[in-house]
Amino acid sequence: MTRPPLFPLSYLCLAVLGTLPLPGHAQPAEPAKAAETVPAPLASTATDEIERTRPGSQPLKYELPPIDPRQVEPPTPLVPRQSVSVPDRWRIMDTLGFKFPWYDPYNHNVYKGDKPFEPFAKWGPDWFLALSAISDTLVESRRLPTPVGLQSSERPGAVNLFGRSRQNVFVETLILSAAVLKGNTTFKPPDYEFRFVPAIQVNHARIEEVRGLRIDPREGKVRTDNHVGIQEAFADVHLQNVSDRYDFDSVRVGIQPFQSDFRGFVFQDVPVGIRLFGIRDNNLFQYNLGYFRRMEKDTNSGLNDVSQPVRRDHVLVANVYRQDLPVIGLTTQATIIHNINRESGRDYYDNNGFKVRPAVLGDVRPHNYHVTYFGLSNDGHIDRWNLTSSLYAAFGTDERHPLAQKKQKIRAGFAAAEVSYDFSWLRVRGNALFASGDKDPFDGKATGFDAIFENPQFAGADTSFFIRQAVPLIGGGGVTLSNRNGVLPSLRSSKDQGQSNFVNPGLALVGMGADADLTPQLRLLGNISKLNFINTNVLGVLRNQAPPSTDLGVDISFGAQYRPYMSQNIVLNASAAALLPGKGLKQLYEEDKRGAQYSVLVNLLLTY
Amino acid sequence: MTVSRRKTVPVQAPLKVLALVCAALMTSCGGGGEGSAVCSSNCAPPAVAADFLTTEDVQRVIAQAVHEATARNQRATIAVSDRVGNILGVFRMTGARTTFRITSNRGVTGGLENIDVLPDSFAAISKAITGAYLSSNGNAFSTRTASQIVQENFNPREFTQPSGPLYGVQFSQLPCSDLMQPATNGSVGPKASPLGLSADPGGLPLYKGNRLVGGVGVIADGIYGLDPDITDVDQDVDELIAVAATAGFGAPDDIRANRITADGRTFRYVDSESLASAPAQAPAFAALAGTVLSPVKAGVSFGSAASGYRAETGALSAQGAFVLVDNANTNRFPVRAGTDGQMQVNEVTILVAEALKVANRARAQIRRPLGVQAQVTVSIVDSNGEVLAVARTPDAPVFGTDVSLQKARTALLFSHPNTAADISALPPADYIGAGGATVARFRTFPQYISATRQFFGDGTMLANGLAFSNRAVGNLARPFFPDGIGSGEAGPLSTLYANWSPFHLGLQLDLNYNAIVAAAGGSTAIGCTGLSRARNGIQIFPGSVPIYRGSALIGAIGVSGDGIDQDDMVSFLGLANASRALNNSISHAPKPLRADNLEPRGIGTRLRYVQCPQAPFIDSSEQNVCEGL
Repeated sequence: MTRPPLFPLSYLCLAVLGTLPLPGHAQPAEPAKAAETVPAPLASTATDEIERTRPGSQPLKYELPPIDPRQVEPPTPLVPRQSVSVPDRWRIMDTLGFKFPWYDPYNHNVYKGDKPFEPFAKWGPDWFLALSAISDTLVESRRLPTPVGLQSSERPGAVNLFGRSRQNVFVETLILSAAVLKGNTTFKPPDYEFRFVPAIQVNHARIEEVRGLRIDPREGKVRTDNHVGIQEAFADVHLQNVSDRYDFDSVRVGIQPFQSDFRGFVFQDVPVGIRLFGIRDNNLFQYNLGYFRRMEKDTNSGLNDVSQPVRRDHVLVANVYRQDLPVIGLTTQATIIHNINRESGRDYYDNNGFKVRPAVLGDVRPHNYHVTYFGLSNDGHIDRWNLTSSLYAAFGTDERHPLAQKKQKIRAGFAAAEVSYDFSWLRVRGNALFASGDKDPFDGKATGFDAIFENPQFAGADTSFFIRQAVPLIGGGGVTLSNRNGVLPSLRSSKDQGQSNFVNPGLALVGMGADADLTPQLRLLGNISKLNFINTNVLGVLRNQAPPSTDLGVDISFGAQYRPYMSQNIVLNASAAALLPGKGLKQLYEEDKRGAQYSVLVNLLLTY
Repeated sequence: MTVSRRKTVPVQAPLKVLALVCAALMTSCGGGGEGSAVCSSNCAPPAVAADFLTTEDVQRVIAQAVHEATARNQRATIAVSDRVGNILGVFRMTGARTTFRITSNRGVTGGLENIDVLPDSFAAISKAITGAYLSSNGNAFSTRTASQIVQENFNPREFTQPSGPLYGVQFSQLPCSDLMQPATNGSVGPKASPLGLSADPGGLPLYKGNRLVGGVGVIADGIYGLDPDITDVDQDVDELIAVAATAGFGAPDDIRANRITADGRTFRYVDSESLASAPAQAPAFAALAGTVLSPVKAGVSFGSAASGYRAETGALSAQGAFVLVDNANTNRFPVRAGTDGQMQVNEVTILVAEALKVANRARAQIRRPLGVQAQVTVSIVDSNGEVLAVARTPDAPVFGTDVSLQKARTALLFSHPNTAADISALPPADYIGAGGATVARFRTFPQYISATRQFFGDGTMLANGLAFSNRAVGNLARPFFPDGIGSGEAGPLSTLYANWSPFHLGLQLDLNYNAIVAAAGGSTAIGCTGLSRARNGIQIFPGSVPIYRGSALIGAIGVSGDGIDQDDMVSFLGLANASRALNNSISHAPKPLRADNLEPRGIGTRLRYVQCPQAPFIDSSEQNVCEGL
């Protein structure tokens, strides 16, 4: 059972960018009244003393140096300038003759939120419209373990479980975005924001065995599917400013991106929900309080499927960010995330006919769980060393795990860190990650770490093989050994549509990587990671074989990013990745005869 | 030879296997001074005093059942058997129903559905035997397990999944089988089961320590059915009473079905163990109110000559083989040459040996602990369906004895050019239903043949010499084609889904039907089908291939006892290896003749020939080991 990873790269970026107001975004440049139309006097008279101060410090005193009478006289103080109020200062440049075509995104453009949108003027001043479009084209070729169709094979002579394993995927995604904002966006957070982001995808997959793409072998080896997903649809209301530095509280309601931590280890999704967020103390503190429910995903595109009921999966989040803690340059985040899953109600089959809830694992009886994640993360730099890290502990209860067939306490942990150093045009990275594993699937404790909906930007992320590809645990039920765009081998039916599973082998990753900006247009990336399971007992149980070696393998990937105009408007990515099998993988799949699993892809991103 | 120095002495791969197996069986494996008991490739469980049920044990089991039934205000009939199917006691509580009704509760008619004239002991005995026969020292399966693996999807109601791996196994161990022993024939097994294997919860294996010693079957609710919905947790009175009966004889937790997976799914063992009574306080057997339908007696120790199964002393002992013996301790199925003059003794010997060698390396799918070898029975037949050899590994579950022979004969039958004519000539199955009334049959035998030919669009099908494995036959004998796909049409050897049930399967049951009914009426006639090549009935789940010399069909090999992919591999690879050892004097069917060339309804409906399992061997990490053969 395989499903191609159709999670568009650009959508990832979108999800990342759309999250929190990043440090600096909301930094006030001037006091509130600066937004008014009458320009403030630059200085009043020579006799007025200008109080020069930095926020939070004592006023600076200017000490006049002794005057040397032999020098020329000092200039006379400035006198107030005569100014005329301008009703629409955004269009000053227009009146000066700077005209640009309506489609030019690089200069002032009314459709890009650079100037107020006149049809909205009836609602008041400063209403903007921002439109954008992203085309994300992916061509991917890969080798993933593929089972022979159980009740009907593609060709005669198929007498084994593992079949031919080359797969080709083409995906075209068009992401449209429309935002309506009110506010002087240059100087302060907008008062209102309404955003709507539909994504339209066509995907096409071709594999070499029947029953891999759809459960009915009669549907063959080729699948073309399409979907229109709603990735964002929210209203954001600026509730209040609480200081003259635009520390604020804001509430956002609807389908919105959310990222649990800097690298998306636990929850990075576009759920529907309500989020109260804001900043304090001149943006030194940021906080989020959120309640979300996960949307059902379309199986083959990974996009939100609004035609289906919202999942009975609840996420409650509270987090706080503090800049310059513990040292200047490093931001620390503390978070509590509570995930309640109540999906024991009915069996759910995905669009390809595979049962995804409950996962086909153990006694396959439906079950609920709840889990609380306590996290501590940081991101930034210490001196010239860039550092990011996350530490999570998960506590909870699976009301009836299908392997243990009884209630299990969830007790799992996760740690990840990346250190990098820039040598001019070369950034060198070191990564390490640990996700705890479960050692006895039948006991009352589930100690394998799983996330809610991970999208880790780590260790090469979707350039790497293991993180990018979904590999089914063939012969071990309807679960995947590694999730698409996920690093945790959590044995879920599907990252997108399945339930979390805390009975899994866990993972240890140690790796190195480098990004080389050879020219402003061309960046080369490379990554190598050693992967090990923590404990393979559960793999042994699911396949009824002696637990395989913990030696999973070595993930090697290389990529190139070409930006012909040195902007994000045209980006061409190409990458190749392979998972050199360790002993453990060979005991699970037919790697000796067919060679390493690999993927090669080309991705073109066009952004307007 | 001992295994304790495994780490310091370089040990060859087969010996490692052996060591694992020994550990699994918790035997001394020839250690401890039994110098003569050579354990060269496989370990026989040595007979110990406590490995059979004594009369006191049987009485206690029955008393515990009665005690629980009383606490639940139920009136039950309880049967106890030993591992080889000897009936050690049948007890009917006062007021218990004396008959039962066979029903899948699917509202269908035909086949065995709705038959309600059979005595309660039939149900109880069939359930007890099922508990004993499906289990081993490495796996404890119940009738609930059987229910899970004989339905149209696996798991049941996991729509679009192929059928249960042991689809059709319920029609084995029948009294009409030429392999099964009649009840009158002393203590040697395997004894026939009146209704074959049961899928009705309430049949459990009995253990003493870690050893399988028998089974107990209970019927109190008057229904002989199955569990179509396994996602809920049933409070089945038959099962609860059986659970109470096993107190003190329960299966070790670690080998119960619910610890064993097939494609990631654990099997069901029992749904509920919430007893209403304290089994320890069960009254004495003599104080029980009811009728002893079959007197209480002690069971036999499995593996002793008295059980009908013992270690082979001849050529196959090198593979640790066990064989079947009669009352005189004579091998019932010693290796012999084909009655058709085709296969020679040495060819059969090498074939059995190679199959057992594969089995001794094969990773078990249905056994614990993890990583032990498969345990199977291997049967070889000639082109007349005559048995040329039956041999097994020591702890193979007993059900596979009859089933392996059924499988061999099924592959033979369907590959034989006379199949269509022979089947067409059979008298039709005469269905009965409630009260013994006549019920309309689904198809006559000629209609099965013509349906098959229509299905393939080939008027020569089943007479054209194509090679059918059991897996391929099974593809045609499911209510959906492709298997498990609800939108598919019925296979030509199956009933239509609207009127399908595990008691109304189609050709497999129909071939046996008249003999089953006759045996229930007291007939002791041998021969289930009227087909000389399939005297113990046919089987329709995987694990056999036909044997050829050049392009001539000369016999078949059938394997049963572990996972179906393992059964396939032992037969398929065993034959391939024997072929190599014999310089191709015997071989697989030529590839163009094999049924996996057939694609009767277009893309995605190709028949399968065999499928070898993932991680097939316990002594290497090789995969896809059947490639190219």
